[in-house]
Amino acid sequence: MSQRSMNRLRAEEISVGYPGRTVLDAMSLDIPDGKVTAIVGPNACGKSTLLRALARLIPTQGGRVLLDGRPIEKQRSRQVARRLAILPQSPAAPEGLTVLDLVRRGRTPHQSVLRQWSRADAEAVERALSLAGLEGLSSRMLDTLSGGQRQRAWIAMALAQDPELLLLDEPTTYLDLPRQIELLALIRQLNRDAGLTVAMVLHDVNLAARFADHIVALKDGKVRRQGPPAEVVTAETMQEVFSLPCTVIRDPVHGRPHVIPA
Amino acid sequence: MMRAVRIGPVCAPLRPRPLAASLGLSLCLAALGLAALAWGGYPLSAGETWQAATGRGDAVAAMIVLEHRLPRILTAIGAGAALGLAGAMVQTMLRNPLAAPDIIGFVAGANAGALLAALTTGGMIVGGALAGGALTACAVVALAWRGGLDAHRLILVGVGANLTLGATADLLLSFADERTAADMARWLTGTLHARSPEDAALAWAGLALLSPAALWLGFPLGRMALSDDLAAGLGLRLARLRLAVAALAVALVALAVSVAGPLPFVAFVSGPIARRLTRCAGPALAAAALTGATVTLGADLAARMVPTFRLPAGVFAAMAGAPVLVWLLWIEARRRRL
Repeated sequence: MSQRSMNRLRAEEISVGYPGRTVLDAMSLDIPDGKVTAIVGPNACGKSTLLRALARLIPTQGGRVLLDGRPIEKQRSRQVARRLAILPQSPAAPEGLTVLDLVRRGRTPHQSVLRQWSRADAEAVERALSLAGLEGLSSRMLDTLSGGQRQRAWIAMALAQDPELLLLDEPTTYLDLPRQIELLALIRQLNRDAGLTVAMVLHDVNLAARFADHIVALKDGKVRRQGPPAEVVTAETMQEVFSLPCTVIRDPVHGRPHVIPA
Repeated sequence: MMRAVRIGPVCAPLRPRPLAASLGLSLCLAALGLAALAWGGYPLSAGETWQAATGRGDAVAAMIVLEHRLPRILTAIGAGAALGLAGAMVQTMLRNPLAAPDIIGFVAGANAGALLAALTTGGMIVGGALAGGALTACAVVALAWRGGLDAHRLILVGVGANLTLGATADLLLSFADERTAADMARWLTGTLHARSPEDAALAWAGLALLSPAALWLGFPLGRMALSDDLAAGLGLRLARLRLAVAALAVALVALAVSVAGPLPFVAFVSGPIARRLTRCAGPALAAAALTGATVTLGADLAARMVPTFRLPAGVFAAMAGAPVLVWLLWIEARRRRL
């Protein structure tokens, strides 16, 4: 396969585990360029582990993760961070950090000890704050924000990194339903407007079907199904992956598949 | 929305609050230094002190100021700054204010090493302190390691090492003859009494050598304060950085212990105080160094003010530091992190 037709981020036969436990066993997966990919699956199926391995946060024991055709762990971590941003699940920040402080830290891979601030940094931070809808909140302390605002601040930090690929681990955790919709709409808008490739772990299959272009269903560390929502979110797959008896209907408003548990 | 300062090739964001805090601390330190220069068993007026310091006063005043008080003050500032830097670095790296070199045994290890070197070779204090501190750091990390490093486990192991090494130092003392033991016992609390110009020179040369590395590490440390995953995601190489921070902290602690003994609590209180003064979520290294110097000089001045006893500065550092420890423990317990 030529470089050109290959997706920028892919896993080739990766095996990942912790001492005494294999989580992913020789898994291969492509994250399609320019799309929003949702990774779904039951608890402990290896979703987060897969995302962390794709972002070189855990080493693979076998196989390799390729970013732009080259093994990710052979590339300089700083160079990787200029193209790929990852937001871990429920990230923590030290107290006393303002939104601006946080978003500025997203510029790290573009900075050095000698050049800690530049005009490009200022512009990128400004852009990230405005994309995430946080213009008025930049001097607020992070711990005084609402859950939805805080999550957008974290996304703004990742955007300040100026990445082409954005990986998110359960970005909607702890948010109420309106905030979940708002956040996923923001993520899809970033994909549509800025051409950002997104891969995110999501708990809610219906939200994944509604907002993703591509769904990867995992079970026991293996990819069971992948493809567009209409192909993946079916009664058979739900039974196979989640052991959930259900009916899947076409959502009359958006035309996406919708799971109704039996 | 953010102004930057540019000095040659260096460009950094301008943050008014940390700058003001560092300026205030510097003024405070200068005032304490001048007071310590003039005040003492042989009191001098401001004018006499100035004349003595510039070499125009009478010979006795000049000797007292230049050979006794000045080295003592400079040693206090150097040792305090080294401890403040080391404390803020380790606390930021482990994201826990209790993970200070003097709580987790680094200071006690450097002290035991220095003591052992002094008793066996009669010198080699710096080498002994370095070896003792490095061995302790390795041992604490190895004992706390369970497929990764958890700050809380590290702190508990470190507190154990701290107590063990304190007892070891006492044991070493019991092997020394009475006069050496009496001298050493005072040193063990951390003292700045009778520091020589050589001590001051060692402290400042060491600081000059090590502080560029500390400033260099300040930039990644501000990112490591977030979380391991976030810092790695931003492109930092954590394993390498952690090793560098730990090695530098051990060197700074060994330096301070070599010239001033194991001053308690200075490394521990400097970081939290500096962070509150600067309202800065990062490591605030410059402010932490200045805080360490101010606390140490203040403690030494307080110790000198008690007549006839020649109390070691460490007693006053402990009196100031212990309430801060209790306060931080209370905060940690309230957040249910302990």
